[in-house]
Amino acid sequence: MAIVAKVWIDEDCITCDACEDICPEVFKVTDETSQILAAVRTDGAFDRNEGGSPLVGTLGAELGDIILEAAEACPVEVIKFELVSDGAEVATVEAEAPAAEAAVAPAAAVAPAAGVSDALASVFAGDRSINILFGSQTGNAAGLAEKTAKMAENYGLTPNIVDMDGLDPARLASMKRVMIITSTWGEGEMPDNADEMWKAINANGPGLSATHYSVCAIGDTSYDEYCKAGHDWNDKLSALGGHQAHPIQECDVDFEPAWRIWVEEALPRLACVDESGTLQLEILEEMKAYGAGDDEDLVEGDFSPGTIQREELTITLEIFRYAPEAAESGWDTLTCNVPGHATIQDLLLTMQRDVDGSLAFRRGNGAGTPTTGVRVNGRIVLADATMVGDVMATSGRVRIEPLPGHPVVRDLIVDTSRYESHRSRAEPWMRTDPREGERLPSGMAMGTLDAASATALHQAGDVQSFQLIQAMSDALAHDSHYEGPGVHFQQWLRVLDPRTSEQQRRSIMSSLQEKDGIWSEADHASLMRYGEDGRLAARGLNEARSALLNQNRYAGKSGRLVKWYGRSVKWSGNVNETTLYRQVLGPLGLVSNVFSGVSARMALAFTRNGSPPIRSLQSLLLPPAGLGRIPKMFNSKVDNYHEVVSLFNEIDQRF
Amino acid sequence: MAKIAYYPGNVARAGASEVEDCIQPLCRALNIQLVEIPRSSSDGGNVIKQATPKLQDALVARNLALAEEKGLDIMTTCATSHAIMCNTAEDMKRDPVYAATINNLVERTSKIEYMGETKSWHLLHYLVEEIGLDAVRKAVKNPLKMKIASYYGPDMQRQGACAGDDPFMPTYMEQLIEALGGTPVEYDSKCQSVGSTSMLTLEDSSLSMTAAVLSDALESGAELVVSACTISHINLDSYQSKAGRVTGKSTSVPVCHLSEVVAFALGFYPDRLAQLRTRVRLIGS
Repeated sequence: MAIVAKVWIDEDCITCDACEDICPEVFKVTDETSQILAAVRTDGAFDRNEGGSPLVGTLGAELGDIILEAAEACPVEVIKFELVSDGAEVATVEAEAPAAEAAVAPAAAVAPAAGVSDALASVFAGDRSINILFGSQTGNAAGLAEKTAKMAENYGLTPNIVDMDGLDPARLASMKRVMIITSTWGEGEMPDNADEMWKAINANGPGLSATHYSVCAIGDTSYDEYCKAGHDWNDKLSALGGHQAHPIQECDVDFEPAWRIWVEEALPRLACVDESGTLQLEILEEMKAYGAGDDEDLVEGDFSPGTIQREELTITLEIFRYAPEAAESGWDTLTCNVPGHATIQDLLLTMQRDVDGSLAFRRGNGAGTPTTGVRVNGRIVLADATMVGDVMATSGRVRIEPLPGHPVVRDLIVDTSRYESHRSRAEPWMRTDPREGERLPSGMAMGTLDAASATALHQAGDVQSFQLIQAMSDALAHDSHYEGPGVHFQQWLRVLDPRTSEQQRRSIMSSLQEKDGIWSEADHASLMRYGEDGRLAARGLNEARSALLNQNRYAGKSGRLVKWYGRSVKWSGNVNETTLYRQVLGPLGLVSNVFSGVSARMALAFTRNGSPPIRSLQSLLLPPAGLGRIPKMFNSKVDNYHEVVSLFNEIDQRF
Repeated sequence: MAKIAYYPGNVARAGASEVEDCIQPLCRALNIQLVEIPRSSSDGGNVIKQATPKLQDALVARNLALAEEKGLDIMTTCATSHAIMCNTAEDMKRDPVYAATINNLVERTSKIEYMGETKSWHLLHYLVEEIGLDAVRKAVKNPLKMKIASYYGPDMQRQGACAGDDPFMPTYMEQLIEALGGTPVEYDSKCQSVGSTSMLTLEDSSLSMTAAVLSDALESGAELVVSACTISHINLDSYQSKAGRVTGKSTSVPVCHLSEVVAFALGFYPDRLAQLRTRVRLIGS
């Protein structure tokens, strides 16, 4: 969590309102510029806070993350702020050169914990500052700089986070320890905030003979110039006489694991740089132990990890069986004891080995194989990645069935050919526009993908198995033509991919709108119930529907339902069922309901219980027993109805 | 006396007025004071969400904030409405920036904000967890004495929306029915969707899904189906005979709202309970 000490607005605000939308507690956009509200400042003034008045009380902690969000969202980057690290040390995000000078002032010596060697204690004497410079376009490098700063304190260092924007390169010469975290932008370019400093250091670079450094480079392997900005800095610092304390680390789109490897090596090495600027590698192991917090007295002995045993479970196992040759199905039931850490697949393997060798199921590799889906006690899970204890009912019952939504071949094996054929027709694989960028094995150019888009794309579709998503639908079993949510979700993810060609995007959107497309799912709630995977799929498919509604201007029955539902709520604050039936079904549909008996059941409340006086009298008669109420023709409006109208007008004026 | 804000959902005061008839007396009998929120609006029914998720969330956040303003949790009789409120509260808790955006809109239009204090309760969960089955059992005047299948639907059967019940093998409604003097009937389809939000647009599938649930309940020996969702009740009841005719399955069974059977068992509307018993005998199972 970021703690903001002070926040101010530079000149050239374009009054786009983004900051106020994100953090109205702090920002107020006037006709000329965004300003910092008086209520959040210690000086009580209402202006751009050029004087840097601190935030009052604990507001900096409460709103820190949101202020940072607003700063990142600012298209002209005029929101500047200063961070407080752990409420004591000040870590300054630099905006201008004068502030940078303050940030690199020598930090006081740090007292090490008791029990360290004399050699380590001597390193802790004197200046312990470490300067973490970031070059960031989308905020990823800035985020890593913050995390690095927190970890640096474990090694007795005093971290300064320094925005490269406006930093005078000459200051580097006075820095003993430097870490650079930078992304690469476009085709090997510096991020915007590092560009000026890069030009300056190339024009007039200082000698860095007293500086130890290490570089973490963030990039994307789908670009030709992978991590180029980081390499440029690494080479430049070396050329200026700097000492590389730890080799450069390249990080791909999933940058965090690689950064962690780097920071856990680079930090202790830089922490071993003493007051005189000498790297004391002989204390490196002790420094690592100190930073890891495991500098307790060493005890000799056998410390090989023990086996974690979960308590044994007594279960009643019910397994669905189906023999296609006899067309017979039924359940095998037995009571047994199993280790608490056994997986569903372990259970099935044991059954197959010890009880019935003919039991058929799909085996996985034990790491969540996407094809091992089964239903256990109502949950749709992967058999090789789900422990019995996690799905067992309190009664001890474990009921294992085939994955729903697919025909059963034998026992727990389902036929996924329908899913595969729908998927094959839907063609959710990548088809790109011929443009600059990486190439597929087929030779086709696949365009480019920046780190932020790649991360967002991964997150949007981070599910264990699309076959499992397919099986989550309750509607699939009732419509043999419906292509299913597993297929449609893959198509939608392809639409979201910036590398996808416009032609493919149009083709997918058109296919989603077709008769057996995305509107054939009767209820997204059936997906939503299956944990994070179901939530992601339901959210993605809802987004796809929104896009289709926009693109097709609320065409078709589904479009009419959404349009008139919204209008009906806007008219009164309540839903008007009469309006919905009339507008969605149309005259023919209403007539059809009359002949099918639906209208009669609604009007006469065939199975309802009625209410006094008229309806209860009907109880003396045979069914239809009560005269019900047809939906209201007109709704009364909710109190303060104008508030509902205002919400509609603020958010979506199409209704 | 327990005090809670009441949200009737989208149909309890329209097409399903029998819910409104029953909820008020049953709460009085169980010492629950229902507090009206006259400014509350429709929650968008997961339909408006398809066009603009932000609009639906803003409508729901406004309703929650209105209850929060009174310092109360909110209760509804509809599983869909309950799930919608849980979803919005969860999304806002998960993403503070999104919450700030929604609250900004709600504050600008209605001068209130949802701070995440108020939580939503479904009538079922409130009775089982807050009032207690013993208190319900003591208040029973007309034991139901029928074989009853519980219909939960999928909306509230997920982590975070079903209180302490099991999302996939729930038992709260069965426990409540037992406390009301009825005999619960187990069947597999009790959490399956009947496609309530799509009946007007996707009739064939919805009818087939409705028929599957009803016929499963009937085959398991149910004489009566009780629905925890007022919107799904329309499919299970009004479209029942059409679903049977289209699919060729047996679907003829009386369907009641949860609030109805609780009110009947607590001694309200004995004439309606008699009527229901008559229908159960005539229709059979």
